[in-house]
Amino acid sequence: MKVRDRLLLPLVGVLAVLAVWQMTVILYRLPVIVLPPPLDVALALVRLLGTHAFWRDVGTSLFEFGSGYAIGVLLGIAIGVAIGESRTFRLASTPVVESLRFIVPFAWIPLTILWFGTSYTGKIALVAYAVFFVMVISTSRSIAAVDPTLSRVGISLGMGRLQLAWNVHLRAAAPTIASAARAAAAIGWIAVVAAEYIGASAGLGLMITNAASSLATPVVIAGMIVIGLVGAGVSALIGWLARLKLDYR
Amino acid sequence: MTAVERPSIDTAAQYRGGAFAVEHVSHEYVSAGKRTPALADASFTIPAGHVCCVVGPSGCGKSTLLGLAAGLMAPSSGRLVWDGEVVRLGPNKHIGMAFQQPGLFPWLTVLQNVAIGLRTRGSARREARRIAEEFLVTVGLGDFQDAYPSQLSGGMAQRVGIARALALQPRMLLLDEPFAAVDAFTRLKLQQELLALLRRYRPTVIFVTHDVAEAIAVGDMIVVMSARPARVLRIIPVDAADRNRASAAFAHKLGETLECLGVTQ
Repeated sequence: MKVRDRLLLPLVGVLAVLAVWQMTVILYRLPVIVLPPPLDVALALVRLLGTHAFWRDVGTSLFEFGSGYAIGVLLGIAIGVAIGESRTFRLASTPVVESLRFIVPFAWIPLTILWFGTSYTGKIALVAYAVFFVMVISTSRSIAAVDPTLSRVGISLGMGRLQLAWNVHLRAAAPTIASAARAAAAIGWIAVVAAEYIGASAGLGLMITNAASSLATPVVIAGMIVIGLVGAGVSALIGWLARLKLDYR
Repeated sequence: MTAVERPSIDTAAQYRGGAFAVEHVSHEYVSAGKRTPALADASFTIPAGHVCCVVGPSGCGKSTLLGLAAGLMAPSSGRLVWDGEVVRLGPNKHIGMAFQQPGLFPWLTVLQNVAIGLRTRGSARREARRIAEEFLVTVGLGDFQDAYPSQLSGGMAQRVGIARALALQPRMLLLDEPFAAVDAFTRLKLQQELLALLRRYRPTVIFVTHDVAEAIAVGDMIVVMSARPARVLRIIPVDAADRNRASAAFAHKLGETLECLGVTQ
């Protein structure tokens, strides 16, 4: 049962996709430049893994992502808590937050290139921005939704406003905030790669656009698969960390 | 937990609690310019170490009374006097509270839930732990100290809520319908247990309830309130002889209180 659920069934899904892919290549007689068969991509992937440049690109993207993500999550939670706890702060910040959060990160890419060129800084700012709004919204909402009985209990136990905010509200909202952080990781990772597609001096996005301009389609697809795998890995890592710290049952 | 023998009531020195007086207290809520009166000229006095049950129709301002007693809000007029001093706004160290929903913090173990109030009020970690353990044993949950609230039944969670309030060793205990959400059988059991605990620790108690039988079983006096804005309709004394649910005295008290509430039998 366990082997079936954890190994066999997921494998069936992957194999089905690969089969459709392979069949498409055969049926339409697609050239390698348009759509290489899975095996070509697998070989390209193995070759990539052996090169120094590939790991540098992965490292660059992960560094940009990690820095921006940490900044965005911490700032987002801090501002979200302030909005959730203080009516004054909420009223003052709502117009700014509500108008900025619909300007998607990608709309900022031209400006970040103008301001920061192709350096790390622009990507880090972009990821932080993308992550920040997800965290602000979910943090402030989950704090507002904390069971009022818990607040009453906290007050009756003699907690002051800060203690209540830190020991009760933030702690009660933590599971929701953690799942938002996990969703934000996906958004942040997408933002990094997208920014690198448009202007970068290193990173997975750049690697793929370079490969595409030299018509190395297997490398393009191999790079895309790496993006997917790294993203899933990051998301799983954050989910695991959240469970480690927050699981109480 | 087994019933504790009631010590003699005569020596005032045994009372840990203080006397609590409500003197001509009125309260109204103001929101968006609209005034909603909740309490109208309520007056009664609870002798030190006595249990005062407050009964009345839903939404009649009983919780308002608890909020005022706890110092969470100030009355619109009148005053509340605790142990000779007027109750001031702000957290009061002598008070412990328990609510209809036990409101346990789900991320803390049972022991930590009981200890957190002591920690907040400045006890050292080990001291808080020791006292929390003691009170968990007292409410019969000594074996559950490392469990999480989600693993408890409703009655057990409510016991933890009461242990948490008692662990603060409050001189005044405010109970806001603590047994309203548990099943009838568990409620009877919890009432017996609470009575034993109150006899042992002797705080002054305000116990808000919808259940008139519960008020007679637990209270030394019953304050009957009218519908909103709540006035005090009658203050009914209860003594030990009235507590026996099988007795005529109990039935008589029940009838008296229900009649006062306008519920004809």
